[in-house]
Order: sequence, then structure tokens, then C-alpha cells
Amino acid sequence: MKFRPLAMVAVVALVASGCSSSASTTGPTIVKIGVELPLSGGEAPNGGPTLNGIKLAIQQVAVPGYTVQLNVQDDAVNGVNNPDQGAKNIATLVSDTSVFSVVGPFNSAVAKAEIPVSNEAGLIQCSPANTNSTLTIGATALALRQAHPDKIAYVRVVANDDFQGLADATIAYKDLSKKSMYIVDDQTTYGKYLADVVQAQFTKMGGKIVKRDGAGANVSDYTSLLTAAKALGPDVVFYGGVTSTGGGVLRKQMVANGMGDLPFIGGDGISDGAAAVPSSFLNIAGDQGDVNTWMTTAGAHDIPDRATLASAYKTAFSAELGAYSAAAYACTQVYLQALTAVGPDREKIRAYVTDTTHSFNTVLGNIGFDANGDINQHIISYYQFDPTTKDWKFVRQNDPTQA
Amino acid sequence: MDVGTLTQQLVNALTLGAIYALIALGYTMVYGIIELINFAHGDVFMVGSFVSLWLLADFFGLRGPINNLPELAAVLTAAFLFSMVVMGLVGVIIERFAYRRLRNAPRLAPLITAIGVSFILQNLIQIWRGPAQLNSPQLIDVQAGFYVGAAFVRWISVFVISLAIGLMIALKIFVSKTRMGRAMRSTALDREAAQLMGVDINTTIALTFFIGSALAGAAGVVQGLYYGYTFFTIGFQGGLKAFTAAVLGGIGNTTGAALGGFAIGFIEVFTSQAGYANWSEAIVFTILILVLVFRPTGLLGQHQTERA
Repeated sequence: MKFRPLAMVAVVALVASGCSSSASTTGPTIVKIGVELPLSGGEAPNGGPTLNGIKLAIQQVAVPGYTVQLNVQDDAVNGVNNPDQGAKNIATLVSDTSVFSVVGPFNSAVAKAEIPVSNEAGLIQCSPANTNSTLTIGATALALRQAHPDKIAYVRVVANDDFQGLADATIAYKDLSKKSMYIVDDQTTYGKYLADVVQAQFTKMGGKIVKRDGAGANVSDYTSLLTAAKALGPDVVFYGGVTSTGGGVLRKQMVANGMGDLPFIGGDGISDGAAAVPSSFLNIAGDQGDVNTWMTTAGAHDIPDRATLASAYKTAFSAELGAYSAAAYACTQVYLQALTAVGPDREKIRAYVTDTTHSFNTVLGNIGFDANGDINQHIISYYQFDPTTKDWKFVRQNDPTQA
Repeated sequence: MDVGTLTQQLVNALTLGAIYALIALGYTMVYGIIELINFAHGDVFMVGSFVSLWLLADFFGLRGPINNLPELAAVLTAAFLFSMVVMGLVGVIIERFAYRRLRNAPRLAPLITAIGVSFILQNLIQIWRGPAQLNSPQLIDVQAGFYVGAAFVRWISVFVISLAIGLMIALKIFVSKTRMGRAMRSTALDREAAQLMGVDINTTIALTFFIGSALAGAAGVVQGLYYGYTFFTIGFQGGLKAFTAAVLGGIGNTTGAALGGFAIGFIEVFTSQAGYANWSEAIVFTILILVLVFRPTGLLGQHQTERA
């Protein structure tokens, strides 16, 4: 895309300064938290409850002297999260000078496209849901933040996929005592890496991978893949990917092809609500009455005061907490605490949040970020499909490396 | 690969091929009569799947399989008739407004309007049902079937394959035996001469669009029954493969389109079986390029003979 960033920034700055000078005389300064999430179509069950977490936080937490508003951007194109759209959205947020921090994105592939932009601009991003390890660790991460390698501008409040993958392998090998796994990944940054970790960990535990298939969003007919896999006699199936790239359709077709009784495990990409939520994993997979569908999320389910948060959320939005509502609430809390401490200057906020000595009091407990921007809490939550409520049922949570 | 798996994959390939073939017929019929690649045709199939979803889930309020055979037959007949008639009319409307006035314009003009119609259809569905995967009721129990040796053959596959073959035979008879079929063939052969002989060109071309789109509508119903879901972009995917099938078989030749559909189904299924699901499109199109280079008329295409 061709545009003139300088000219755009100048125009926006002009408008913004015009506004703030008049506002400062009358009352609190208006500052904004940018929101960059997939919000429409098949992504609505993901982005919606996450956005609500942010909204609830700014309703509940007041920062004296400031009125905090949101600048909301949607990265879903045709109903699926889109990295190019994400990068454009971040550029839009960078050019809005009243934005002092950003919550998002939701998907790792989108983060990959956004981190270079926010890193160069020095605008901090806090992701409530990105789990891909390479976003913060290793050579890939260094390449993403090459504009300012020493200035971290991307943090996240969820554990990375090295932890989640270990947890998924543990469900298969230990909880279910399965030894032969069939793996399908959706070829995305997130899905492929998570499947790689599960494959490595499951093999290390002593299990065998009978087949591994990569099937991107362009694959809608899994019948032939499943027929080929079935002949190899797997006793458990792992899916690395999200619902909108085919997770629900895969589970549905497993049932149609006589593999419905095989346990199915997925990562947080299929954590998008009850069967009643249109286009969610459980909704698309269909109600087949099975109890053998498992899912993990990268974060604590049992947070210090879940009941209070859940009831406030229910009052505000007439719905249950989403998988990453609390995480988004926590990101917002981190920003509001930084705003109280250092004011709305982007660089000061960035430096304050990423300082490894700082800790933040959030709904997730006391959290802080390490030198890579990863959260210092490594909790994974385990869920199983409950056929009576037709929803995910929380089973347990732990740090899988400690268990 | 054991015999059971092989047989089962053959059935999978035939089922997939049957769906492609149904869509491919529409491409090939339209090309045969007005030499236009109707790029909106894949989206006609997609709209058909939404129309049948509306009838079954919203109007009839159905959610799952129907086990009572007469009731199942009645509902299926209603779904196919409704979707085929509605989509046939949509096809006629598309022809009337997007193509008729451009019939004698340079080739590029109707091609561009075809792409425009494709976007319009996708956007209308997005506005109507949102850009999300939606569940379709699978009226025929997709798990039910019978054993042929070691292979388990599902009734839904038998249904889809026989439906497609039945419709193809009906089309063949219609085109070769009826008066209207003769009008279609003569229009395809030489439009002006046919007109001089008293053939109503506009009606004949509209009829061609009606039949082609109705077949895509039938494929749309099948999408819902077989896969149990629909999405507003499936028309692009399905359309592209069906178009390839039509070219592979020899565009303009209906038997060729059917064979091309089954060929693409086989290629796709056995690429997946070999573990290269993501490469299936690349392989399909490589084969298309090879066919076009070495046999530009396609498998069954002959030089300027019977089309339509």
C-alpha cells in the first residue's frame, strides 16, 4: 500500500492538538487505548469477548486526570483474521497520536505482521491471546524487532506454545493413555508451531505419530485425509489450528467418517465458546454427544477473583467470560497502571511496561514481563467438552513443566 | 495402501468428482453457447447452498438426519426443486442484466462483468448471513452405510453419485432429443443461422443459463448434505476446480465436463492420500497446463463439432 505516513501523522497531529488544547482547559485529558482484534464474521466469537474484557476494565478502573477511550480496529477480512489488515490497522493506530498503547492482536500470524510496525514506532502492544513462541523468542523474534532490537514493544499475558504444546501432549499421553497420534495443522504460524511442539513432546514421552497432515484454509474436504489416516489406526487426533481455518469442519467430518469416537485435542484456537455460539468450534463440529474432545487455553482459568469478574462481565454484556476476556482485562490494567505512573507518553509507557523489575496487580494476579516480553506466569488451563451443557468444562490448570 | 482404503478412497473421489461435475456442466454449457467463461458460476453454486440452507434450517426448521424414508424423500425433493428453480432464475437474471447487452461486445467486457457478478453475489450473501461458516442440516445420516468387502460405503456418497449421474443423463437426453435441445445445439453451432431458421436466440440462451445454474443449485444442496456446512467463499474454490474440470474435459462438451469433474476428484483425493493435501491445487493446475499445452481441446474436445 502506498501512503504518506509523514503527511498523515502531521494532519492527525494537527487535529489532535487542536482538540486537546481545548479539552485541557475544561477537564480530563482524553487518551486512547488502541484495540486490534478480529471482530467480524467467523472471528466474532474470538474478538468480541476479548474486546468486552477491555471495555469492562476501562469502565471499572479510573485514572485521575484522564478519560480513557478506545480506538477499535478489526483485522478480520471476509470473516478470517488477516495479517495484512492487521499491519494496516497498526499503522492507523500509530498515526492516531492520542493512542498511547495497543491491546492485541489475537492471532499469531497477525502479530508477525504487526510487531515490526509497532516496534519501529515505539508503540507498545499487549496481546491477550498470541501464543506462538517465535514472536518473542529466538532468531524470528529478533528479525521482527530489528528496528529497535533493544526496545521491546510487544508483550503478552499468556504463556507461549512451548507450554501449551506440552500440555496438549500430556492430555493425550497421560490423561487419555494414548500412544498413536494423528496430527493435522492448518499451516498458519500458530497452528503449525503448536503441532510441532505437540509432535516433539508426544514422541519424547514415548508416543508415536502415525501421520501428520498440513491442511490450510483452502482444504474444506478432509474425507480423503481422514480415510488415509484411519487405515493407520491412530487412537488420538490433535489439531493445531483455529476454528475458522477448518477445526470444526475437521471434527464434524471425523464423525461422518467413523472416527467420531477417537479423542480429539486442540489448542486455544478452538476455544471460542459453547455449541450455542454460531460458528464456534463446538457449533460447527456438531452435537455428537462425545466427551472425548479436549482443549487447552494459554492462561489461568481459576484467576484470583474469577467470580467477581465473571458477574461484572455478565451484568455488562449478558454473557459468560470468553477464553481471553480476563487476559484482555489484564492487558488494560497494565496500561492503566502505567498511565497513572508515567502519563500518556508512548515511550515512557513502553519503557515502564517492559521494565522487568516492575510488577502489575491484575485480575490474573501479580504479573510481570521477562526480557523478551513474555509473561512470567506459565499457567495452562485444560478443558473437556461437556455433552450436557454443550460447552467446555474446566478440568484443571497448571504449569505443564512443573506438573 | 490396503484394498479397503483404496476402495473407500475411490468412493470419496467419485463423490467429490460428482460435485465438481455438476458445477462444471454449467461452465461448459454457457461456454458452448456464447463462448463466455461465466466466472460467476461458482458463486451461483455457493448461493444455492445458502438457499437450501434457508429452506431446510430456517423454513422447515430441520436440524439433523430424517430417518423416515418417505419423509426424507419428500424433503429432499422439495430442497432440490426449490434450490434448482431459484438458482435457475438467478442464472436467467444474471444473463439478462450482465451478459445480454454485451453479447456482441469484445470478449473482455462480459468477462469483467462476470467477475463483477461474482463479487456482488459474495457480498450479498455476506450481508444476508455474515462472513462465517454456517451449519447445514445433514438430512441423510452421514454415518450410515454398508460394507463392500473391507470398505465402508456411506449412503450419502451413493446418493450424491447417483444424483449427479442421473442429472447428467437427463441433461444429455434433453439436449440431444428435445426441440429445445436442438435449438440450443443449433445456436451453439451458428447463432445467426439459427436465428434465420426461426430459433429464438434470447430464449435459448436464457434456457441454457437456467439449466446450468439449476445444476449448480443442485450442487449447492449437495454441499450442505455432504459437508454439513457452507461458507460464502466456497464458490471460488469449487468454481475454480469445476472450471478446470470443464477445460480438462474439453470446454463446450458436456460429457467431457462430467469426466473432467471425476478426473479432478480422483487427482485431489489421491494427492491427499499421498500426504500432499496442500499441494492438491498445484497438482490439479499443473495437469491442466499440461493438457492445454499438449491437447488444447481437452480430453474430449473436438474441433467445432456438437457443443452445448
